[in-house]
Amino acid sequence: MIQKKICLLGASSVGKTSLVKQFVEGIFSEKYQTTIGVKVDKKALIVDDEKINFMLWDIEGNDRYNVFEERYLRGAAGLIIVVDQTRASSLIEGLDIHTLAKQVTSCPAILAINKSDLPSTWHLSSQEQEAYNDLFSLQFNTSAKTGAQVENMFLALAELLLKDKRNDVTTK
Amino acid sequence: MMSLLNNVINALEQAVLEVIDATSGEVKLVAGEGKWITELFPASKNQQSFIINENTAFLFDFLVDARLVWQEQKDDKIRSGLWTEITENNSELHLEATAIKQQQKNLLLITNQLEDYRFQQKTKQLAREILLSNDRLFLQNEYLQTRLQSILKRPPEQDNIVLTLTKVIENAEFAVIITKGNFAPIIENSAALSLFEQCSYTSSLPIRPVDIITKLMKNQLPEFERIVATKSSWEGELCWISPPSTLKWLKVGLYPVKNKLNEPESWIIFVNDISTIKHLVQRNEKLALEDMLTKLPNRFSFWQTLEQQIAANRCFYLVYVDINEFRRHNEFYGHLEGDKLLIEFGQRIKNTIKESDFIARVGGDEFAIILSNVADQSSCEQAILRIFDTINKTFKTNKSESFHVSVSIGAASFPNDARSVEELMKFVDLSAYNGKKNKRNSLQFYSQSIKDASHQIIKIEQELRHAIRNEEFELYLQPIIDLKTRTITKAEALIRWNHPEKGLVSPDQFIEIAEKSDLIIAIGEWVIHRACQLVKEINHQGFNIKISVNLSPSQVIDANLFSYLRKCIIDFQIEPALLELEVTEGVLVDDYSTARKLLSNARTIGMTVSVDDFGTGYSSLAYLKKLPLDFLKIDRSFIKDIVNDENDKAIVKAVIAMAHNLNLSVTTEGVETEEQLKFLITNSCNSVQGYLFSRPIQLDAFIKLIDEQTLPDNINNAL
Repeated sequence: MIQKKICLLGASSVGKTSLVKQFVEGIFSEKYQTTIGVKVDKKALIVDDEKINFMLWDIEGNDRYNVFEERYLRGAAGLIIVVDQTRASSLIEGLDIHTLAKQVTSCPAILAINKSDLPSTWHLSSQEQEAYNDLFSLQFNTSAKTGAQVENMFLALAELLLKDKRNDVTTK
Repeated sequence: MMSLLNNVINALEQAVLEVIDATSGEVKLVAGEGKWITELFPASKNQQSFIINENTAFLFDFLVDARLVWQEQKDDKIRSGLWTEITENNSELHLEATAIKQQQKNLLLITNQLEDYRFQQKTKQLAREILLSNDRLFLQNEYLQTRLQSILKRPPEQDNIVLTLTKVIENAEFAVIITKGNFAPIIENSAALSLFEQCSYTSSLPIRPVDIITKLMKNQLPEFERIVATKSSWEGELCWISPPSTLKWLKVGLYPVKNKLNEPESWIIFVNDISTIKHLVQRNEKLALEDMLTKLPNRFSFWQTLEQQIAANRCFYLVYVDINEFRRHNEFYGHLEGDKLLIEFGQRIKNTIKESDFIARVGGDEFAIILSNVADQSSCEQAILRIFDTINKTFKTNKSESFHVSVSIGAASFPNDARSVEELMKFVDLSAYNGKKNKRNSLQFYSQSIKDASHQIIKIEQELRHAIRNEEFELYLQPIIDLKTRTITKAEALIRWNHPEKGLVSPDQFIEIAEKSDLIIAIGEWVIHRACQLVKEINHQGFNIKISVNLSPSQVIDANLFSYLRKCIIDFQIEPALLELEVTEGVLVDDYSTARKLLSNARTIGMTVSVDDFGTGYSSLAYLKKLPLDFLKIDRSFIKDIVNDENDKAIVKAVIAMAHNLNLSVTTEGVETEEQLKFLITNSCNSVQGYLFSRPIQLDAFIKLIDEQTLPDNINNAL
């Protein structure tokens, strides 16, 4: 079985933990509960008859109370940069985190624009969209609350990673 | 002994693992027992060694860092940071690991950090909820402020303003109070009433929220007097104590709504109750006295220190540093970059001053420094010059874009200038404000002349207001001669002030003050109105003469300017083609899109546009191609020595050629001699203006001049 380390990164309270919870347990809690440190969840997926085990590293959001820790990205096979479509600042923070992450890992990154169930306060212009296409392998508008695009996002990431097993340092 | 140690380890909720093989991650539990350890490492039972594997993924990953410590010869240790482990029983453990090298032994200490986790969780949860709500409030605050400003600036007859305001502010998540210019309340929303609600037994008559706020500002803000006098906005924190039980921390925003005479017609006040965040930071004394962003001491810490310094009766200088145009920087680069600048800015100053000195962030973009044991002005100046040096160095954004900032610094001495906290603060604030007039670095020591100068500006402002009401201004006209037809086809309108006591005052003595106080809008509108009237009068005499009016930067960005121009053109029933707008290069570059919109609109209805003082501003000509322009006016400084100076000759020739290539006509200002005129004719300049033909003159004289159209023989010969 293939094991893949996936790191969820982003500003605080964008919904990283909720995305993992929705994906792993299929549930969503309205109550915001901030993550401290790191929590690793596991979920097995089957893609093209191949079993892949995701180790989902839900990493405490970055803000003035918590700085980015690059060592947590060691051995990561994929990154999910989560931003909140109700807070424009979370996109800028997400892009900054992406820049920092890219200095220590070359693994593919996905942009998850979360909280798609709520009215957005910003949107990407076509120019920005184009620019971000180069930065991110895939992009999803997710809702941890309704589950929209959550499973699809993780499945797409799994498919992407299976395409290039050479990136996998944790394969047994 | 071992059993005692084991008890201690158990009490601390720790487990000590001895590393058998660092490479494979084989370990053995040597101390510590408890249910959580068995849950974490089921294989640790019976004192057997076991291998840390991917079942505990975080710890497995930490082994990479741990091995680096274990491989070393010297004693060392490294911590993993907090993580949450889900055990096979689905319970959550909050843990931290420490890899230790101690006397050649390799150890791995695991600590159950439940307590620390809970504390961090509780603190950060609250802090992040506040951050989120602040983000929301910030957006709402910005939106509401803009919306209210636009409603309050509408003409009163347009609609029922109070009703509109009520609708807009009622659902705001924070208190909103709108007052008249004298702080008499117009409207308060429900949030304001409930925020300032007091127990009924504390007073027989309910006190209005605005009275509480203004009283707090008067008592707690030494700058309040200056803020009101200069109609400035202010944002900061106030503490409201009302015995027996009220103690609230309030984040207050005070914003003036000014009329055309730059008088505060209304004030918008936003108040947020930030007691919770204060409570949060006060749990930790360091945080209570520390500015969260810059980590420098905050305003309260500063006041405490200032009071202690005064009580100790030792001489010092109080220095107040204000970043110029910080708001603009924030708007341009965004708030995150603004925060970054504040952090680096504070740090640079901190690194410049002595250990015994003190720096605090006392406001949004304001820092205060106490230079201890500095008695004379020259020593203070030395210290401030070092601050200038460090600030002058380039700053960089996250995207490595370079930029510079400038500051306004005010300084006052204890005990020479003032002996109380309030007075010292008031004096340095006034000094810094006084230096802010130019956008460059400035240092102002407190002096009587500063006080006098600030009074003088206020006096001129009042006189200008009076002048607008009493129509003390007059437009003079300076003819512009078309070199092809050899006739006066245009005139530039130039303002003069017939001061009742000082006589004729030239614009350079009042336009700058008018521009800074926004009175320029009212004066500019008068100029447009009068220019249209002049066109009409001249037209009535049988002459079609175009009049060009100068627009100031504030007018160009005034959203109402174009509709005002149209209204005047319609009211006086004049041809729009007989009006020309003159703007300077600086305005075109600074407010490119606004200027472009205005000038396009003006040209659409038939007006023409000229660029004034061309050549003195920006050298980039890219905008010339993109902007809707008709004329370039070459600045007089190029003409002055044109007969002898080869450089000026080359520049003027090049400008004329370039303008013609872009289908623009060229007017030259400041033509005073026949030689200059000959040169311009030879080089195909289109029109000229200057003392050689006429000074700016009053309407009657101008009509006489165009009526006669008699130019002196010598000029005629040159033409």
